[in-house]
Amino acid sequence: MKKTHIVLLVLVAAAVCVIVSMFGDFSTYETFASAAKQPGKAFHVIGYLDKDKSMDYDPVKDPNHFTFYAKDKSGNINKVIFNGEKPRDIERSEQIVMKGYIDGDAFHCTGIQMKCPSKYKKDQMVVGNAS
Amino acid sequence: MDTQFIGEHLWPGKLGHLFVITTFVSALFSTFSYWRAVQTEQSDAYNSRSWQILARNGFILQTASIVGIFFALYYIIANHLFEYHYAWEHSSLALRSKYLLSCFWEGSEGSFMLWTLWNSILGLIVMNTAKTLETRTMTIISFVQACLATMLLGFYFGPDIKVGSTPFMLLRDQMQGAPIFSSPNYLSFVKDGNGLNPLLQNYWMVIHPPVLFLGFATTLMPFAYSVAALWKGDYESFVKPTIRWSLFSGAVLGTGIMMGGAWAYESLNFGGYWAWDPVENASLVPWLTLVAGLHTLLVYKATKRSLVVTFILFLLTYLLVWYSTFLTRTGVLGKTSVHAFTGEGSALYWHLIVVLGLLLIICIGSLLKRWKQIPRVKTEEATSSREFWMFIGSVVLLLSAIQISITTSIPVWSPLAKWITGKDVAPPVDPMAHYNNIQVWVAIIIALLSATILYLKFKQSDTKKALKRMGITAAIAAVLALFIGITQQIKAWQYATLLFSTSYAIVANIYYAIAIQKGKLKQLGPSVAHLGFGMLLLGILLSSYNKQVISVNTLGVVIPFGKSDAENAKESRDNVVLFHDAKVALGDYYAIYRGDSTSSSDPRTFFRVDYERIDSATKKVKEQFTLYPDAFVNPKGQTGLVSSPASKHYWDKDIFTYVTSYYVPKDKGEFKEHTVHQGDSIFLGQGYLIFKGFNREINDPRYVPQEGDIAVTADLAYYDTKEQKGELRPIYYIHDKYDNQITDTLKSEGIMARLEKILPEQQAAVIQVKQENPKDDYIVLKALLFPYINLVWLGVIVMVIGFLISLRNRLA
Repeated sequence: MKKTHIVLLVLVAAAVCVIVSMFGDFSTYETFASAAKQPGKAFHVIGYLDKDKSMDYDPVKDPNHFTFYAKDKSGNINKVIFNGEKPRDIERSEQIVMKGYIDGDAFHCTGIQMKCPSKYKKDQMVVGNAS
Repeated sequence: MDTQFIGEHLWPGKLGHLFVITTFVSALFSTFSYWRAVQTEQSDAYNSRSWQILARNGFILQTASIVGIFFALYYIIANHLFEYHYAWEHSSLALRSKYLLSCFWEGSEGSFMLWTLWNSILGLIVMNTAKTLETRTMTIISFVQACLATMLLGFYFGPDIKVGSTPFMLLRDQMQGAPIFSSPNYLSFVKDGNGLNPLLQNYWMVIHPPVLFLGFATTLMPFAYSVAALWKGDYESFVKPTIRWSLFSGAVLGTGIMMGGAWAYESLNFGGYWAWDPVENASLVPWLTLVAGLHTLLVYKATKRSLVVTFILFLLTYLLVWYSTFLTRTGVLGKTSVHAFTGEGSALYWHLIVVLGLLLIICIGSLLKRWKQIPRVKTEEATSSREFWMFIGSVVLLLSAIQISITTSIPVWSPLAKWITGKDVAPPVDPMAHYNNIQVWVAIIIALLSATILYLKFKQSDTKKALKRMGITAAIAAVLALFIGITQQIKAWQYATLLFSTSYAIVANIYYAIAIQKGKLKQLGPSVAHLGFGMLLLGILLSSYNKQVISVNTLGVVIPFGKSDAENAKESRDNVVLFHDAKVALGDYYAIYRGDSTSSSDPRTFFRVDYERIDSATKKVKEQFTLYPDAFVNPKGQTGLVSSPASKHYWDKDIFTYVTSYYVPKDKGEFKEHTVHQGDSIFLGQGYLIFKGFNREINDPRYVPQEGDIAVTADLAYYDTKEQKGELRPIYYIHDKYDNQITDTLKSEGIMARLEKILPEQQAAVIQVKQENPKDDYIVLKALLFPYINLVWLGVIVMVIGFLISLRNRLA
């Protein structure tokens, strides 16, 4: 066996170990209910903003505290606390991906990603008066 | 019934579309002719020559047509022809002219066009320089051009299947059925376009996409030469041009990627130049495999080893370039990327899969065909040889690319994983930590190798001499690392290891360039490129390890944050409120928010924040400066801020700030009504208003006079106890028998005034006034401190210079 092959084997073995171990880093998409089974452990939850309930962000009180309610894919509504500013345009989001964990009743969120409707929708066309 | 539409300019679109079709047909023609030229090469040299000439003409026509597309589209955008969907969607009248070109790459069609344009320009160079490999390389290049041209076709096969998407689509065709298009003069209602995404209105975005696409285009050349070499079974003549092209490619693609980083640093607010975002990873991965391929090719040139792996790396690089297009343009990344790409729907998804499939067939086919014939060296290389370690370095780069690809591609393979395991796999919760923890080892190994390799010789080194030199440089590097490590307090052991290996890379490459190469510019390429790479890694290490959030908020309730990790808790509470004129401590600095300002020539709002640093001993102000982080406030159809950072640059650090939220005055209620005659005063909390009289002359962009209107302003002057502070001119007008009011504000004092009505018989005005405490005004700010970030940029520049020195040397 050539030296190159041995070194190659060692490298590949190391790479396989790294790749197997990195699967432990990967998170999963859960619902509020399934995330609540392991409180404190961080997951991804896909949901929708509940527009009937209030959003609360008062930077004067605390600029790192934004709360809202979200409905997950199975239809459960849960309070969400985000340690940051209110994300721009969350009112118009079609879908929200929240990273965080359940603690008590609330879902504590460390990251939010939103899917917003395309800005090129017909009803948003800029229309002026004929002059 | 066909409606005759008024005011449309149809000829640029028709011409443009004709160019698109010509591009496609001539690229196909060129592919076929070059292929025939290859086929008849042995049997009929005269015939082959004729095919070759035909093919060349085809390729030139193809290039000319793409230039035609470019100018047709530029004409449409520059003249604001909003009857075209592309112009309407990506530009607006207010767009500053320097950003007109940016419209090209906001849309998918425009960026495909840019890519094709670069391909053809580089293709012309290959056509004139490839000599014996011309027919084969150009068959591949023309074929890729034909594939790219299909992306711009916009043909429908039946109602559901659409091939490509043309930038010359008319607005009324794109939005069929919208009621507005039933009127022939619809264009007179379409006043303005949607405008360019505010995030792209940055000078880096004028230059980053063209450079990145040029980088993508350059990766085609090593690919084409590799396929051509396999096709012809000629493993000699491709070496020199492929080394040149991959040096050029490494320089351009590397520059393009880091310009993206610079753009992210200056205009995005995810707080840094690199976030391991899928879109960034997608362009980094091909660069890694390309650089690996360049090194194995150098090994092959010197020792005849590593040819198979060279081919695999170059073919893979090009597949990865298309794969990255697939990831970023089809929306498959969807919920995992911060970049604002919208999906183009399933048409593009399948289109790109077909192209990827065709390229994969070419790769596997040409490799399999020659697998047994590809020359290999039976003997073993010496452990002390340069090629042995270069090969290992290349494998490590490849493994790094594989790791990044697996995590980045989670959205692609997660449906399969769900089907097997039932788990819905998501990206890591903390992607930065995930990638950093793994890639730090790659960085350590590559940094060590990048220094060591130069001291070794191909085939057999003088081990004793090499070890002695390495020992000396390593000792110097250890001292340097110790010094940096102590002053910068780098404690985590894997990062301390990285600190040593980057120091070693820097010291050893400088030593090599000066002591061994005697600074002869011609040969300096590798050591300069490696030195730049080492500096880049050191810059990344220092700027991210000691990145500091100086806007940690100390007000308000403390929320328990799951992890006990203090660093993490800090990161999560990095917004701070700055009230108008109030001093807030940010790290060593004090920040004072002084108000916002807008101008008519710029759509952005600038927030003025004064900073001062006070010497802790003498209590004197040591330094003062002002930053203007800016934002698009409520950009079209959205609420909130699209903000860009402002930074204070020092040679050894940057203070990086951006506004995340701001005070919205409460508009409702609290107005007080006053009936006043000329000369009367209205008393407010801290001052008073004087009603100076009515005025018929109105100079206010918010009011456009129309026929039959009656309009008047009330001129008000505001005084505080000392002096006049400003004027207000609320407008009252009667239009169509109804009365209307336009409120005026004096923002600096928080005063709003409305001319409610006029009492003609009493010569009096009814004025509604409210004053808010200007102290209510605030912004929410994030401030970060990046130490030694300039080392990152300098490292990239030095590395690229190294590539270019090598290229120049190889061209001579």
